[in-house]
Amino acid sequence: MKISYRWLGRHVDLSGISPQRVVEDLTLSTCEVESLTPFLPHLANIVVGHVLTRAKHPDADKLSVCSVDCGEGTARQIVCGAPNVDAGQMVAVALPGVELPGDFRIKKSKIRGVESDGMICSERELGLGDEHNGIWVLPETLKPGAKLADAMDLSDWVIEIDNKSLTHRPDLWGHRGFAAEIAAMHLRPLKPLETSLPPTGNGPTVPVRIESQACTRYLALRLEGVQARRSPDWLRALLFAVDQRPIDLLVDLSNFVMLDLGQPNHVFDATRLDASGITVRNARAEERFRTLDGVERRLEPSDLLIASGDKAVALAGIMGGEDSKVEAGTQSLLLEVASFHFATVRRTAARLALRTDSSTRFEKNLDPTLPLRAAGHYVRLLAQLEPGLRLPAPLCDAGEWKDPARVIELSCERVRSLLGVELADVHIADILMRLGFGVKGSSGTLYVSVPSARATKDIGIDSDLIEEVGRIHRYGNIPEARITAPIAPPPRDEGWQRRMLVRTLQDRLAGAARFHETLSYSFVSDAILAELGATEERHVAVINPIAEGFSKIRRHVMPSLLATLAHNRRMAGEVRLFEIGKGYQPEYSSTRGEPREVHELSLVWAGPVPAKGARFDAGRFSQLQGVLEDLVRATGRQSLSWSAPDPASLPSWAHPGRALVGRAGEGDALVTLAALEPRLAARLGLKDELASDVALAELSLDVLLGAEAAGPRYRPLPVFPAVKVDVAVAAPRERSAGELAAVLTRAGKGLVRDLELFDLYEGEKLGAGRRSHAWHVTLVSDERTLGEEDIGKFFQRAEREFTQLGAELRKG
Amino acid sequence: MSDSTPSFESVLAAVRAAGDAASLRALEREQLGKEGPIAALLASIPTLPPESRKEAGQRANRMKSELAAAVAERLQQLEEAQLAAERSGAGFDATLPAARVERGSLHPLTQVTRELEDLFTSMGYTVLDGPEVELDWYNFEALNIPRDHPARDMQDTFRCDPAGNVVLRPHTSPVQVRAMERMRPPFRAIAPGKVFRQESTDASHEHTFHQMEGLVVGKDISVGHLIGAMKTLLRGVFGREIEIRLRPGYFPFVEPGFELDARCPFCKSGCRVCKQSTWIELLPCGMVHPNVLRAGNIDPAEWSGFAFGLGLSRLVMLRHGIDDVRHLLSGDVRFLEQFR
Repeated sequence: MKISYRWLGRHVDLSGISPQRVVEDLTLSTCEVESLTPFLPHLANIVVGHVLTRAKHPDADKLSVCSVDCGEGTARQIVCGAPNVDAGQMVAVALPGVELPGDFRIKKSKIRGVESDGMICSERELGLGDEHNGIWVLPETLKPGAKLADAMDLSDWVIEIDNKSLTHRPDLWGHRGFAAEIAAMHLRPLKPLETSLPPTGNGPTVPVRIESQACTRYLALRLEGVQARRSPDWLRALLFAVDQRPIDLLVDLSNFVMLDLGQPNHVFDATRLDASGITVRNARAEERFRTLDGVERRLEPSDLLIASGDKAVALAGIMGGEDSKVEAGTQSLLLEVASFHFATVRRTAARLALRTDSSTRFEKNLDPTLPLRAAGHYVRLLAQLEPGLRLPAPLCDAGEWKDPARVIELSCERVRSLLGVELADVHIADILMRLGFGVKGSSGTLYVSVPSARATKDIGIDSDLIEEVGRIHRYGNIPEARITAPIAPPPRDEGWQRRMLVRTLQDRLAGAARFHETLSYSFVSDAILAELGATEERHVAVINPIAEGFSKIRRHVMPSLLATLAHNRRMAGEVRLFEIGKGYQPEYSSTRGEPREVHELSLVWAGPVPAKGARFDAGRFSQLQGVLEDLVRATGRQSLSWSAPDPASLPSWAHPGRALVGRAGEGDALVTLAALEPRLAARLGLKDELASDVALAELSLDVLLGAEAAGPRYRPLPVFPAVKVDVAVAAPRERSAGELAAVLTRAGKGLVRDLELFDLYEGEKLGAGRRSHAWHVTLVSDERTLGEEDIGKFFQRAEREFTQLGAELRKG
Repeated sequence: MSDSTPSFESVLAAVRAAGDAASLRALEREQLGKEGPIAALLASIPTLPPESRKEAGQRANRMKSELAAAVAERLQQLEEAQLAAERSGAGFDATLPAARVERGSLHPLTQVTRELEDLFTSMGYTVLDGPEVELDWYNFEALNIPRDHPARDMQDTFRCDPAGNVVLRPHTSPVQVRAMERMRPPFRAIAPGKVFRQESTDASHEHTFHQMEGLVVGKDISVGHLIGAMKTLLRGVFGREIEIRLRPGYFPFVEPGFELDARCPFCKSGCRVCKQSTWIELLPCGMVHPNVLRAGNIDPAEWSGFAFGLGLSRLVMLRHGIDDVRHLLSGDVRFLEQFR
């Protein structure tokens, strides 16, 4: 909302209070100010000119050559294209060098061969209106050479307020409310404002029937002998300053009253209303109504209408109708000033996406005593400008409303204790009185009467009054304090444990494992779900998404990582990413409607396909498996044991033939590790030069949290030296490494301390269908130094078992 | 001794002139070894006339020890020369690049969140977590924002059902009443996490970002305590004293409510970051509204509290000079790897 500094000056003496000071005061005590800008600053450079002579341009029918006295001693020659320019007029002149709105710089130039030394301006060229039928003809009383801004009293400052910061202040939706704030801060009185209704005739009042509780008060008053003429320049300038386009006197005053007092109101052309008067009623199902912006609106029974006869004439509190609007020939008015229920107006305006200056004010819950003052204000302003104004009948004041004014008991000790500052009781009372509250009481308890303008919503309890005291005293005057209280370490509950686990995982991954942590949107696009074949899965979804196909909330973290994989592979050859985050699963919602929340770690490791002949564990699958084992070890859980999963239970990104499930001890699967489902690679863009070796893993933090702790246990250092031997076995391919390793363990009879597979080989030398496995084997005894004989027996036992499996020890 | 064998003096001279340890050792072996001239001399003693044996023996032993001493001395000289050469740094290129240590990285939001968690837990705060998909009750009703309240427009909220019973939380504040349900006063808590706003995105607006809620409930908690806590927070974040100011701000769940501005840490007289104002609007905060305490079953006559909401994404951007908020959740490795 825009506030005019000059306008504020109508309500409070601003001498010695600069616009900058007003902004500072409002910022520190009232609301958020977005900007302070001079109103049409170029007006300071426009001068008043007196047209001495006007002659037709020798070469152009529509142009005039004028001689204009701009107070410089000698007159300037100016070519003007306006039809209404004439000798004797006072006009607004932009001299060469002046810049007008729209980056338009005036230059001395030749127009059709005739020199022109400036420009005679229209209102539109000056930014003061839409009028472009001709130049702006100024009052004859002005002095040539005077600055236009001074001569016409146009200089002003515009203060833009952040509307959100006024959500709770229905009293601040007009200039007088802001003036009251400034007055309170500077200990100045508000200028009196006479708003009583002048005497009226004794004709019949307008009949008003209220059929809905959403209208608590409806004032209707007939005004005769009016004309929709142009408003005076002072009024137009004020409206312009706050971005309100002037239309005609009757409408401009309606807007002025709203912007002055904060009370919306409406003027109908009375001749276009039905003689039966006004009915306030709810809309009928499927009822249609054309608002004065020319748009036909479909209404619902919850919408409130102003009707006359059987025709709707206004959408209550939002916008009038096209058929009854004031027009050039209007001579008779019906002025409506009403109180409508804030929520009704808000709902209708929101549904129709029709937020108007009026609805924005009504939804703040306006003071129900304000309509009477607003009506008087309108009439009095109009009477000053329209000598023929007649009020044929008394005001109709219909409706049942309650004055919200109330008394709140306020403990001065509580003020001091909540603000944390020493303030004398009298000081507290003084601040409240300056703000217009009534204060009674003594010995630490104040009885504060809240005026109706503050009582509808903002001030209901003592905390609200404490805020009033604090903001006027200024929060900057409150000293910093330290909390003193006994403290204990935070409980080692599930949340704490999860956080510690997360830190361990993050540190391990970002450290030796060289993974980068990422964080993603919780939204998952329909596109990536389609690639993953997961479209059918149930998702939490928003009904007002930011974009089509971007409404779903992820069930798991993995799709977020897959969505960026191709891009990252293009940018970095080797991609190691992890994310720790949440997924939401609506099929497991709580009775209150909260979907189940899962906490997961997802990992992606992708890079170029390993070269032929690379070590058997050079692929990302093996590497990632190693990372996962290290991670689980780091969290102090039992070592992972791996098993082949049921392919049907795998997530859609997992390669059904290259997947493992890992558990830490008994219980639920902790980790799913897999190569990328081969059909997905191309769909995700991992083809041609981006063809990739990709391993993926998903670890459930919830399962990890529940897994039994099993930290490292000390074992005595060996007394006798270890013996290391290498064992190579050629076996049929269907014999698994695990099976063969078990042979070695058994053959060691408790002596095998470590088995490290270091080579896998297939080749012609071995014969078809055979694979060679090679291990480093470490043997240790706790009782003696192992000798040749022990090693020999180990090999003999191993060889015997290998032979039974169709395998043989390889020598060499 | 025959003329063909070098004189003892010339052998000594050769030892003293030896150029390196290897040739010196060779010379030592040749002269002092079993086959060497001194050994030969000693071996020949029994063949000498008895009267000259003693003198010859003494002479041979003198030669032997003199030669050994010369070798030891020369060896030490050579070692020292070599050490001196090594220590002179010849051949060392001070501009060679360091070997690369490859590392992963933590997201900058993780880094700043951890710092704040550590700061606040050291002051007795508990770290809480709350759901991103939240009930209308915690998000609005319990926060003193009934239906049809215009403040419902203050954040554009993603709704998960037409009735709006489930929403994506537009702020971390719903954790306030969740915290009150779990903990009895006095308590202090923070709750970092993701929040969502239904608004179009550009370099400074995102529909998803990170915030941190703070909540303190206790006896006689005042605005002064809030100011103290906020100054401590800023000291922790920026590592020095930062001037702050509180000004009125409207949030239905606090009363009084404030906007907290911090004196721009990047300039003295206005810059791009503070939009030439020298103040940075940093966080909304205020004294917990009695209705919110009641929603959490806490008696406002007995207890009071303050709450604040810190924009973590904004803080990360300020700290690292990030010019586009959309980088934070882009998942782009080129962005992430900068925060090693």
